[in-house]
Amino acid sequence: MARSAGEADRLTVALLGNPNVGKSTLFTALAGIPTRIGNYPGVTVEEKVGRFTHQGRRIDLIDLPGTYSLSPQSPDERVVIDVLEGRMAGVPRPDCVVIVVDATNIARNLYLATQALELGLPAVVALTLSDVADRRGIRIDTAELGRRLGCPVIRVAATTGEGIAAIRDGMTATSAGPPPAPFALDAAAPGGRSPAARAAIARYAGIERLLDGIVQTAPGPRLTEDAIDAVLTHRVWGTLVFAAVMLAMFTSIFWLATPLMELVSAGMDAVTAFVGDRLPEGPLRSLVVDGVLAGVGGTVVFVPQIAMLFLFVSLLEGCGYLSRAAFLMDRLLVGAGLSGKSFIPLLSSFACAIPGIMAARTIENRRDRLLTILVAPLMSCSARLPVYLLLCGAFVPDRAVGVSWLRLPALVLAGLYALGVVVAAAVACLLSRTIFRGPPQPFVMELPGWRWPRPLVVLERVREAAWSFLANAGTLIVALSVVLWALISYPRNETAIDADVAAVRAGLESRVAAVADPDREELAAELAALDTPAGLDAARRGAAQRQSFLGRAGRFIEPVVRPLGWDWRIGCAAIASFPAREVVLGTLGVIYNLGDVDPGEREGATALERRLKAARWDGTSRPVFTLPVALSIMVFFALCAQCASTLVVIGRETGSWIWPLVTFTYMTVLAWLGAFVVYQVGTALGW
Amino acid sequence: MSRTGGFFRVMQRRLPMVSLDDVSVGKTVRVRDVDGSDPVSIRLLEMGLTPGIDVRLVGRAPFGDPLELELRGYRLSIRRQEATRVVVGDR
Repeated sequence: MARSAGEADRLTVALLGNPNVGKSTLFTALAGIPTRIGNYPGVTVEEKVGRFTHQGRRIDLIDLPGTYSLSPQSPDERVVIDVLEGRMAGVPRPDCVVIVVDATNIARNLYLATQALELGLPAVVALTLSDVADRRGIRIDTAELGRRLGCPVIRVAATTGEGIAAIRDGMTATSAGPPPAPFALDAAAPGGRSPAARAAIARYAGIERLLDGIVQTAPGPRLTEDAIDAVLTHRVWGTLVFAAVMLAMFTSIFWLATPLMELVSAGMDAVTAFVGDRLPEGPLRSLVVDGVLAGVGGTVVFVPQIAMLFLFVSLLEGCGYLSRAAFLMDRLLVGAGLSGKSFIPLLSSFACAIPGIMAARTIENRRDRLLTILVAPLMSCSARLPVYLLLCGAFVPDRAVGVSWLRLPALVLAGLYALGVVVAAAVACLLSRTIFRGPPQPFVMELPGWRWPRPLVVLERVREAAWSFLANAGTLIVALSVVLWALISYPRNETAIDADVAAVRAGLESRVAAVADPDREELAAELAALDTPAGLDAARRGAAQRQSFLGRAGRFIEPVVRPLGWDWRIGCAAIASFPAREVVLGTLGVIYNLGDVDPGEREGATALERRLKAARWDGTSRPVFTLPVALSIMVFFALCAQCASTLVVIGRETGSWIWPLVTFTYMTVLAWLGAFVVYQVGTALGW
Repeated sequence: MSRTGGFFRVMQRRLPMVSLDDVSVGKTVRVRDVDGSDPVSIRLLEMGLTPGIDVRLVGRAPFGDPLELELRGYRLSIRRQEATRVVVGDR
């Protein structure tokens, strides 16, 4: 093969194997941290390449997706065969293929291995989990197996590092040696059936002959494994253990990550203060502080949750529990057109949809994965909670429902969480029967043997998840943050702001004069505040926001939000909360001349509650925030896709801009409809 | 329909086909055939559920579905819907 001088000592090696056979462990042992992670062109199949030097040759190790067969049924399998045959754009045809074969499950693993050998590439077989096979009394004559397969077969054990050096030597030796003799399984195809079925049956028959006399298995049950499996997949005990594991996982991403997130926020606040102090007051400081740094802060704050969830998921995957969890939960999700593998991504979405959507990477089936990603943002995440709590506390009457301990606000809160689940199930059901309809997807899932997770592999997955989020999603989130900053800050006209503040003062004076107003105290306080520098600044900020592109957009969309019972200010706050739902409270604070309030703290929350209660429709004495309006806002925020970061992550994980658009559109339509129904019904019933 | 087809139907009525879904937990049976030639049945064959192989039904998930199987020295989970395609008999 003619090659340029620079490429002469460069080798491309593909790593091929079934899922759950220790392929990731072998990759890490051979190449360490991958140098490149991305997607193959045109498909959302992950491309992972590691690089190392051996015997003076630079080796590019391509980690192919785990597959069971080379007959292309799924996009993953198509990618594998395209790379092996040198048909994948941007990937040179491999000089050698390392075929990973699980020593504890050799017959089934040889199905893929013999298919790969028939392609005629120089090959090395890595017999992984050899130590586990030894313990189970499985004896494999590797020399004879190598002779029959026509390629070196090397025992590998991750715990001791056995075989890693030999695999490296094997790569360079086989690529340098003469082309391998053509390999073909000696198998007669039985009659009847389809050609594909005949080929599969014949291949297994051939493998059985190939293994004849090579493999000795000690008869007898695998007592420990059987006992573990019997408990963990038991109807009662298995379900209890599952509930405990899920609770631990959920607690850790919901609460354990919180101190870390606060630490990150505090760090970002310090950076913001440091930078803010060193820049002159003006548009540049506003851009850096409120645009760029706010975007950076809004990105890094997700990292603790992502890292925590991936730590859990990789541990569960590494020990073999992830498949058992999917096995236990499958029946519950099958009705909604999903599978058991969707459970953990959906559960984590109650903490935050971003790690949840990223955890959907563990779903091999692309249709199920996409469906899970599309409905994950409907789970009520922790960012919705402050909105629910403030509005429930302020506008839902605290009275008992039936029994004394069941309070109405708690019931509304539970209802909002249930709403997300029910709507997600309905959407998944509908999508799987319409646009995702296709041939029936086989649910055929291996339950791998129990084993200890490899710490390096676990840490690598955590690092990779956090890094891919920061590097790919982070930059886009910061860019979006800057765009929104511009929309909320411009245009700015000082004369108009003065006029607006004067109008606010006049309005307040006339309302304070009207004795009947029940919120007179709050109004008088607001009026008095206008004479303090801080109060005046808050009023001017409110005026500036009302005049910005955002404020104009709020007025522009008022006809759309009117049927929801909202005035243009709520519409404004809803638009401004596009970067993140929780922003809606802060925006309401600014728009109601309160300046920056922290609705997460008691003080800020009560100040905002009082101000919202005192709000009136422009030029009337009709309160804006009534029970139906509060409910309509909460339902809207339960169902809407007001989270730019989630949409960016959906784009990144699906590899297409269509899916974030679809998600945003369907969720906004549902949110509007839900809010409309709640408001109209609530008003008609006189709530 | 040919006369042999009719004969087969009679035989089938007399000897009901047992699928993997009808097997009780803990029992080991031998695979006789996998129905159909669509991707689902090909995937079942590729996973090693080929005629002549012994399969043990290890258990069922809490809601009765899916099933946990042991074959060729490893554990596999398939849904009842897929299990009904796997025709089994005694060893």
